[in-house]
Amino acid sequence: MSDEEHHFESKADAGASKTYPQQAGTIRKSGYIVIKGRPCKVVEVSTSKTGKHGHAKCHFVAIDIFNGKKLEDIVPSSHNCDVPHVNRTDYQLIDISEDGFVSLLTENGNTKDDLRLPTDDSLLSQIKDGFGEGKDLVVSVMSAMGEEQICGLKDIGPK
Amino acid sequence: MQNFFNGRPEDLVHFQSTMQTIEHACSSIQMHTNPAVAEATILSLRQSPQLYQTCKFILENSQVANARFQAAAAIRDVAIREWGILSADDKRSLVSFCLCFVIQHASSPDAYVQGKVSAVGAQLMKRGWLDFMESEQEAFLSEVQMAVLGNHGVAAQFIGINFLESMVSEFSPATSTAMGLPREFHEQCRASLELHYLKKFYCWAQEAAFSVTNKVVECDSSVLEVKVCDAALRLMFQIMNWDFQLSKNAHERAINVFSSGLRNYVVLLKKSECILVQPGSSWRDVLISSGHIGWLLSLYGTLRQKSSFDTYWLDSPFAVSARQLIIQLCSLTGTIFPSDNGQMQELHLVQMLSGIIQWIHPPDIISAAIENGKSESELLDGCRVLLYIATLTTPMVFDKLLKSISPLGTLSLLSSLTCEVVKARMAENTKEETWSWYARDILLDTWTTILQPPDIGKDAELPPEGIRASACVFNLIVESELKDASASAFDDGDDSGLPQASISAMDERLSSYALLARAAVDVTIPLLTKLFSERFTLLYHGRGTSDPTCTLEELYSLLLITGHVLADDGEGETPLVPEALQAHFVDILEAKQHPVVVLSCSIIKFAEQSLDPETRAAYFSPRLMEAVIWFLARWSDTYLMPLEGGRQSDGDCQHESQPSKKALLSFFGEHNQGKLVLDIIVKISMTTLVSYPGETQLQELTCCLLLPAVVRRKNVCAHLVTLDSWHNLANAFANGRSLFSLTATHQRSLAENMIRSAAGMRNSEASNQYVRDLMGQMTSYLVDISSDSNLKSIAQQPDAILSVSCLLERLRGAARASQPRTQKAIFEMGISVMKPILTLLEIYKHESAVVYMLLKFVVDWVDGQIVFLEAKDTTIVVSFCMQLLQLYSSHNIGKISLSLSSSLLSEERTEKYKDLRALLQLLKNLCSKDLVDFSSDSSEAERTDIAQVVYLGLHIVTPLISLELLKYPKLCRDYFELLSHMLEVYPEKVAQLNNEAFAHIVGTLDFGIHHQDTEIVNMCLRALNVLASYHYKERGAGKEGLGSHAAGMMDQGGKWQEGILSRFLQALLQLLLFEDYSTELVSSAADALFPLILCEQGLYQRLGHELIERQMNPQLKSRLANALQCLTSSNELSSTLDRINSQKFRKNLYAFLGEVRGFLRTM
Repeated sequence: MSDEEHHFESKADAGASKTYPQQAGTIRKSGYIVIKGRPCKVVEVSTSKTGKHGHAKCHFVAIDIFNGKKLEDIVPSSHNCDVPHVNRTDYQLIDISEDGFVSLLTENGNTKDDLRLPTDDSLLSQIKDGFGEGKDLVVSVMSAMGEEQICGLKDIGPK
Repeated sequence: MQNFFNGRPEDLVHFQSTMQTIEHACSSIQMHTNPAVAEATILSLRQSPQLYQTCKFILENSQVANARFQAAAAIRDVAIREWGILSADDKRSLVSFCLCFVIQHASSPDAYVQGKVSAVGAQLMKRGWLDFMESEQEAFLSEVQMAVLGNHGVAAQFIGINFLESMVSEFSPATSTAMGLPREFHEQCRASLELHYLKKFYCWAQEAAFSVTNKVVECDSSVLEVKVCDAALRLMFQIMNWDFQLSKNAHERAINVFSSGLRNYVVLLKKSECILVQPGSSWRDVLISSGHIGWLLSLYGTLRQKSSFDTYWLDSPFAVSARQLIIQLCSLTGTIFPSDNGQMQELHLVQMLSGIIQWIHPPDIISAAIENGKSESELLDGCRVLLYIATLTTPMVFDKLLKSISPLGTLSLLSSLTCEVVKARMAENTKEETWSWYARDILLDTWTTILQPPDIGKDAELPPEGIRASACVFNLIVESELKDASASAFDDGDDSGLPQASISAMDERLSSYALLARAAVDVTIPLLTKLFSERFTLLYHGRGTSDPTCTLEELYSLLLITGHVLADDGEGETPLVPEALQAHFVDILEAKQHPVVVLSCSIIKFAEQSLDPETRAAYFSPRLMEAVIWFLARWSDTYLMPLEGGRQSDGDCQHESQPSKKALLSFFGEHNQGKLVLDIIVKISMTTLVSYPGETQLQELTCCLLLPAVVRRKNVCAHLVTLDSWHNLANAFANGRSLFSLTATHQRSLAENMIRSAAGMRNSEASNQYVRDLMGQMTSYLVDISSDSNLKSIAQQPDAILSVSCLLERLRGAARASQPRTQKAIFEMGISVMKPILTLLEIYKHESAVVYMLLKFVVDWVDGQIVFLEAKDTTIVVSFCMQLLQLYSSHNIGKISLSLSSSLLSEERTEKYKDLRALLQLLKNLCSKDLVDFSSDSSEAERTDIAQVVYLGLHIVTPLISLELLKYPKLCRDYFELLSHMLEVYPEKVAQLNNEAFAHIVGTLDFGIHHQDTEIVNMCLRALNVLASYHYKERGAGKEGLGSHAAGMMDQGGKWQEGILSRFLQALLQLLLFEDYSTELVSSAADALFPLILCEQGLYQRLGHELIERQMNPQLKSRLANALQCLTSSNELSSTLDRINSQKFRKNLYAFLGEVRGFLRTM
């Protein structure tokens, strides 16, 4: 197992890698996968065979985690798929600016101001309403393969 | 609409206009113009004050058949609803109206209206059956009898028979219509009809059929008489389907009262259900000695002869009902035959057989005729007759029956028939379910019945012809299966589904093949060996030059068949070597030559070749490997190191006398080849896990079937843990990465199997050490990773997630394998990862899959450990669980996810649901500590108060369970199970809950009693019962009881909050009186209502008073007042809470609801 640790840390150093290879057969429902260059969440996996005495293949149905579009893919189950490195970070919401950007407080005390509000009205109102009511909000920001988006909201209440 | 019906004058004009309205509504429904309004109009008919007159008027005058139909339906609904308040005259007149109406309008063209009215008549007749005097019943039925016997003409005869048919079907509990009455009512009606009328009905039907026989034989098939005869036969068939109870002795009846709907003696034979008819001795004169059967057979025979040029006749309704009746009469048994050693029954069966022999004999000619377009239904019915006869006789008698009328034995006939059917199947070459497919299934069931009699006592000895016949059938069947296999070898694999699913679908068929094979092992085992070796040779010689696919598929199919022939499915028990295989081959002295050994060895040797990479690549396809693994699992369960001794209670001398048996049993034993074979099996398992990447089905079979079979028995484990191959597997599991490629569930079951093999270690210490060695690396990896300073950035990398998930699944598998012997090591394992688990839960709070795995591990670990833990350890585990709950709750409360995709959102809800379910399971597991506890210390001081803990847990978890989430039925059930358990067992703790927690519980209870799942309502009612009883008793003893929760209080907004008990008293009364619910609930509702009433006397009086005041109609008002009075006073109900009083109150409530619900709900 000590080898593994080493392997593990070297990856940590490489850090920036956007995707990792993983055998198709081990990817489960609600895991992540890259289909057509997009990071997706798997919502359905089924296996079948290429002919009775052939090898197994996996059929994935997945949803793009950023734009919600549905994508499908068929991969021989012994082959590798790309799995995206999906990162989620929580920030405290400081401000919402007029031009559709948010201002977030990072862990080391700086602010992060490069993130847009969602364009969808209902999502937008969920954030704006909460903020408007003066609640202390924490937003979760999801990032993968160079894209970033607000994906969740949590009311941590008045402190 | 309403005011229209409320119009005063009861004159013709009124009826006329109602009729027109209804007619209009009916036709607009048919043309689909504004159906909702039309439906409302038709339904409003049921509210009309002069309903019966109006409906009778419509029935007699309307020209629109649909309107008449609706009028009949309205009569039925309202009369059943209001039956309790109708006068005796009204009841009688309704029934006789229906009867007269159908007989008078017998020749009306709209048969469905007549059918409806006659069904309504039958239902009302049943509803009033116990109210009517015997003379009244007779008067009604003599009217019907007249019609049936033909006194009112042929059309009325037909209608009369139909009416009897409706009656029989209404009175039979299995087919009766629900009337909102208790089961006893239906039972009493059934018993009364069976005692007094059933046989009469049968005789009337006989007479009716007799009376038209001449006409039927002479004329063509379109005359009305044929319809009458058909109806009479159908009625007789239906009566023969009756669940006869009187012929049974009291004991059997007592058991069967609550299983009505099932017949008294149901032999559930695989596919074709075989129901035996036991009408009892009183039916002997009608059915057996009257020549009835001879008449029936000859009538069918004559008409068959006459219509031999009409290809459609065989499927005409008349022919079908006649054949159905004949089959039913074949299954007569019981006391209808005198106890003369079965002679009369044999004669009866011979008569039946000679009547139907033409349907199935000669098989080749009939099969050819069917291929040329003849209907197959007669042949299929003939096969069914054989099945029924086989059920009733021993193989010897079965074979003898036909010999008395032909040179052939019945078994030979059965065998040649089966062979023809199998040949026809082979020739067809389609996958569709054709006649030969059905016939084959029925005939296989017949063979199963003969070869494996359902009752042990039956003499199952097979005559020599039988052995030859089954060998011959098996031979042909295998040939046909192989042909099927090679023909389908190139089919697309997509439709094959899971191998286990297809195997179990084929299982029934395969087990009847196995029975056939075992009946003639001398021939069939060598045959299988030969077939295998032919195919092995084909593979070796054709290697590299020809496509092996067809041969692979044939081997697949042979492996399945052979697996069934050689071994039974153990279903977790240790199956013995089948008796037939043990007892035969007496002349074999050397084990190596024993045909079973030869066959097994050849397959194992073949399987072993999959270890060689080149050979594996050449022809061990994943699918073939699946069959190999399946076979090895089934085979090793039976043959591998069988417990020495086996079934030897009947003395060793017998064992000694059969050296062949001993040779067979010991060949794969511990001191012979057993260890060698075990080694091969482990190596093959390792191969499928490592060398078939991504073949999840194959790996599933290995992890969930083969390995469990190997670690199931302790004596096998003892050898297993000494094998190098097993050590290699364990090493790869504990230290390598190669097994990380298995899917998560397989990781889990692999870990479970590895831990289970610890049973083979010498003692508990060694077992624990073995577990530590296996799991130590994994736990320390988790500890290291969770204390890594860089955790935050590396944790979210996909490969880190994969490693963590794999390890957690393995820990979970290990936890599931907890046994007293390894409990200590597994406890330590869990303790050492407690801190990492909390860290990981924090780090992966957004990674739902990992969160779920963390929770499930804890759930399973606690489940396996809790009963063993000493007080100190319990405290540690409990406080860990509470930390876990707190942490989970702090992550999830108030969390909103923002996503554009609705499927991602719903996915997320499902994940939340699964998490919460796991948390509830965790609490439930903690609960069990209070029920089962194996720990040794009993010092009360250190004890954790489990109830307190679980209430605290519930308090943490319940805010996360939204009403939205309770729509998941499993979560809902789990939640209410836990909640009602807690309320039931620890009502005193409820009083100590704070208001917020208490309000939440009350809110969910309120949700629960209005749930559609009766089980959930039941649980809530039980909880209410306990709460109210607790409060009542405590108050009686001068204590607080539920305190402010019961008394009600001011909430923060200054609004008066009602106490829980008064709130639920109202809710429950509302439910019982005005809402829909299943009658099953009444008794538990009574149990809850009684203590509630006792607690809240004042409120109950007020509510009752309001209810009475609301009632306008003075007659109903007094009725309601009386009923309410009776509810709390009749049957000498007193105000103590005990069993007797509860029972009395239940009775009272039933009576009360029967009395008032009908009119309360309609007003």
